[in-house]
Amino acid sequence: MHADGELETLMVRYQEGDFSAATSLIHRLSPRIHRFFAVQLVSRAAADDLLQETWLRLHEVRHTYRPGEPVLPWLYAIARHIRVDHYRKSGRTSAREQSLDQTPEMPAPRPASGATLSLEEMLAPLPESQREVVEMLKVDGMSLEEVARATSSSVGSVKQKAFRAYEKLRERLASMGSLS
Amino acid sequence: MRDPEIDDILKRAAQSHADPDAALLAKIAGSIQPTLRPVRPLPPTWVLAGALGLVGMALALAIAAILGLHGVEAMSGPQILVLAALPILIGRATVVWTAEMIPGSRRHESPAIFFAICCMLLLALFAILFRDDTTGNFVSQGVPCLRAGLLAAVPVALAGWWLLRRGFAVNPTGAGLAAGTLAGLAGVSMLELHCQNFQTWHVLVWHIAVIPVSAAAGALAARLANRRITARG
Repeated sequence: MHADGELETLMVRYQEGDFSAATSLIHRLSPRIHRFFAVQLVSRAAADDLLQETWLRLHEVRHTYRPGEPVLPWLYAIARHIRVDHYRKSGRTSAREQSLDQTPEMPAPRPASGATLSLEEMLAPLPESQREVVEMLKVDGMSLEEVARATSSSVGSVKQKAFRAYEKLRERLASMGSLS
Repeated sequence: MRDPEIDDILKRAAQSHADPDAALLAKIAGSIQPTLRPVRPLPPTWVLAGALGLVGMALALAIAAILGLHGVEAMSGPQILVLAALPILIGRATVVWTAEMIPGSRRHESPAIFFAICCMLLLALFAILFRDDTTGNFVSQGVPCLRAGLLAAVPVALAGWWLLRRGFAVNPTGAGLAAGTLAGLAGVSMLELHCQNFQTWHVLVWHIAVIPVSAAAGALAARLANRRITARG
């Protein structure tokens, strides 16, 4: 059976209250959701928290998945919502925080080539909207239509974001190649 | 560097990402197990949108009938076109709102774009069909119309919210805007059925104003509600 079809079957069984299907979905989908949060430049601990929060929300609203529809756009649409809420909450927290007079010195980032960069480092210079499109489209292998559904946008807009992101990545990898 | 080469670099970089700990996944599974019961999935979009459209139009018609169907009685042949255009826009608005309430739905237009299309279309249609340039009692007759349109929009918004209460809006402001646009269109429909003042500026300003006011109120209410939920969570 095709992987997407398997996910749909598991999702239907999860809606029917099958715990083994829920566990299977958690094991299959969590690495994707975790990576999705990690490329948004949150810490590993924050990505873990967001992953838990996402599953609690997915569980609450699991009835909003309709059998026969693709699972991943539904999943990522909810994960994006959790991320936006996280930014809102962390924005409120940071507004209440007082900054130190002196910033502690951080070690300088090690120079890296395209081959040794992590996904987070590679996508870091891109705007958030382009990062998520590249992650879903190129890393997760979703179709343009699925990414458009997940991001509440049009296929044209997804194509444009992916094109612009690749232009930037090409420039960055070329400059790293000329440095090394 | 060609696109497939970048694809390869990205895929290799993604493989280095450490998956979440097995203990964390076990904790997640354990946290959902106590509340794992069978749930009934949402009905198809056409069922929800159809119900929403029927309720919206029925309420607009019922309120206009209570107040008196003076507008329809006074309309000329071409002006009846407005009463054909409004149900089409209401039908489209129900699809936009329903899509906003189901995560991962296919979207043909965003609520903001749909709202702008509605306002522009109705402005153009009203300007073509209502050609009385007099402006007598512009404010004194306009304010009651705006108020009546908004009062008709409220039950439509509430009934719609009740119908879609099992949905989940990933973009609450967009969902509120879509809800307000639909309710506003129902309010305008009620006014067209009821109001017999066909002065061009009266219908262009006071009737159509129901849509932006209702849409803004819907977006604001949804935004505030979401902020409260986020702060509580």
